[in-house]
Amino acid sequence: MPLDTSAYSLALLRVDGRRWNELRRIHAQIRTQAAADGSSYLEMGHTKVMCVVNGPSEPGPRRGGVGGTSAAGSGGGGGQSKDAEVAVSVVVAGFSSVDRKRRGKNDKRILELQSTISSALGASLHTHLFPHSTISISLHVLSLDGSLLAALINAATLACVDAGIPMTDYVAACTAGSTSTYAANDESADPLLDLNHQEEQELPGLTVATLGDSDRVAVLVCESRVQVGRLEGMLAVGVDGCKQVRGIIDRVVRDKGRRMLQEGTVEKGVGLEDMDLD
Amino acid sequence: MSSTQHVLLSPAELAYLHASLSLTPPIRPDGRSPSQFRPLVAETGILPGTNGSARICFADGTEAIVGVKAEVERTRLAHDFDHNTFAAGSRLEGDFVEGSYAADAQVDAENVNEEQRVGDDDWVELTVEIPGYRDDDPGTVFLARMLGEALLADGEFARKLWINRRFHWKLFLDVILISPPLSYPLPLLSLTTHLALLSTRLPRLKSEGDEDPFFDDDWAAAPFIYSRNSSNSSSSSSSTTKDGKTSTTSRPPISLLVMAVGNNIIFDPSKEELAVADVALAVSVGEAPSAAAARGKDAMDVDTTTQDGLQRNLQILSVRTIDPPSRLTPPGVPNATNSAYGAAAVVASAQKQPEARAAESEAVEGVWKAPRGGARARVMAALVLEVLGRGGVADEVMDALDGVDLV
Repeated sequence: MPLDTSAYSLALLRVDGRRWNELRRIHAQIRTQAAADGSSYLEMGHTKVMCVVNGPSEPGPRRGGVGGTSAAGSGGGGGQSKDAEVAVSVVVAGFSSVDRKRRGKNDKRILELQSTISSALGASLHTHLFPHSTISISLHVLSLDGSLLAALINAATLACVDAGIPMTDYVAACTAGSTSTYAANDESADPLLDLNHQEEQELPGLTVATLGDSDRVAVLVCESRVQVGRLEGMLAVGVDGCKQVRGIIDRVVRDKGRRMLQEGTVEKGVGLEDMDLD
Repeated sequence: MSSTQHVLLSPAELAYLHASLSLTPPIRPDGRSPSQFRPLVAETGILPGTNGSARICFADGTEAIVGVKAEVERTRLAHDFDHNTFAAGSRLEGDFVEGSYAADAQVDAENVNEEQRVGDDDWVELTVEIPGYRDDDPGTVFLARMLGEALLADGEFARKLWINRRFHWKLFLDVILISPPLSYPLPLLSLTTHLALLSTRLPRLKSEGDEDPFFDDDWAAAPFIYSRNSSNSSSSSSSTTKDGKTSTTSRPPISLLVMAVGNNIIFDPSKEELAVADVALAVSVGEAPSAAAARGKDAMDVDTTTQDGLQRNLQILSVRTIDPPSRLTPPGVPNATNSAYGAAAVVASAQKQPEARAAESEAVEGVWKAPRGGARARVMAALVLEVLGRGGVADEVMDALDGVDLV
């Protein structure tokens, strides 16, 4: 069903009732999985992603898998290099979309997602501290409703934080779009923040990820045609959204940390009063 | 694949573990009794976008998610000759009109509803996804087949997907292992699939007979595939059928991983225990269409009142041998043949091939030797008894799973 954008100019409300600069509800959890070194669960609207991080560990034939090493994108070099390899595997569950659709592991779109995430996180993680090793990140998409790449990057960041892998800063990602299609060539089109699936199908959009609180862009992916004049506005809105997302991610990490301190998961000896809890 | 995953234990450690597990009663490393399961965390209805979903976390940290999706599919009529008579008749009569077709169908639906229900194994598609493994990895494919086989074994499940003679539901079960496969994931995936199917609902059919299916859009009215009052399942199934001929099972089967050491049967083995298993078996247990139900409703009522309606009629659907990782463990060397311990008369030819010699030599008490051969008949008999007996393991697991809230 085509998206009806004509109503937007009347009330300035999008199909799901948001304003142009509103994010969908973001809910995240870390340390969801006991067997892994790091894990997270992230919801951005109806997009639900689980992430499991293992490593840094010795690269074996098992970790990353036989097909995984070749299929997964690698941020650093191979097992013999001075930097740790970031091996990402993305599994899109067959039941994630409305109509059941099974995607193979060698789907070109999935391969591209993997290599994008791998290079984005590889730049933020201190991979030089772990030579000859592999950090394997496996991401599971449980439900799909737009902004997939952004959700995957955010979940992977959270899981890496949980795994305790040293990194420069959060990589927080978000999508931005424009209110009218490329063909409409509407000069007065407003930028939009955080596209859902319906908007993503119809409108031009980009995914942007920034490093921490700074304006430094770590990832910029635009897969649709858009007039260059609109790009600046979209990017500005996207970067602004990344800052909001970073705030949410940061709060999740701090909340979990505080709870772990209070529940005694960390060793005693570090007094609560000694630590600066915000 | 994961069943043959190596555990880094020395021959001496393996021998110790094997010895303590073959005592009567066996002493397990984590102090459990032979038939005790590890605790698990389970929830259902986690994904609103699916027809049914479940998530289970085992105590060892492995976690799986199963989502069930259903689609309406046209049944290929040429497949089944029994029900093709109608179609053939319509082809012969040139002036066959739509009205009589519908009327006929309605009459048919009235009296042959139960017998008409036929199922095809193709209506269920089960895929297993294990991170780090290829889709066509033999281990993954074997797992998927094993889970699917148990599900379809009694032929009842596919029949539940029948809508009318022209249409059926196609059910897609996607099993995803979230955690890395630490131990052989069969029981985890099986229990998760079980729960997901228990929570699966299909929209309520509004159309009648062989019309194009038309469904109620009220999700609250959608019936569960497996009826929910499982505690008195046998009585409910007998009451729904008119002639008492057919009775439907009210829960999907479960597959358990069982291993044997010596004459001991050990359930829910951990990774370390599996490394010394003589035999590892995947046992699928399902609820049989109860014999009491076939005897008629009156007899059934008596049964249920006397036994509080708690008894399950269980049957083993399949038993498959799984290649245990213990087969690939290195053998220990007994002192008698170890030259480091002053065994002077070491045969020269034996020295050339120490592995071959160790494998061929007689078993020495306390020296590890990789087990060979299959399951003994005695072990199998004891296994059947343990699983199916009154208050047996299968009963216990199903009782535990009943405790999970279905959303």
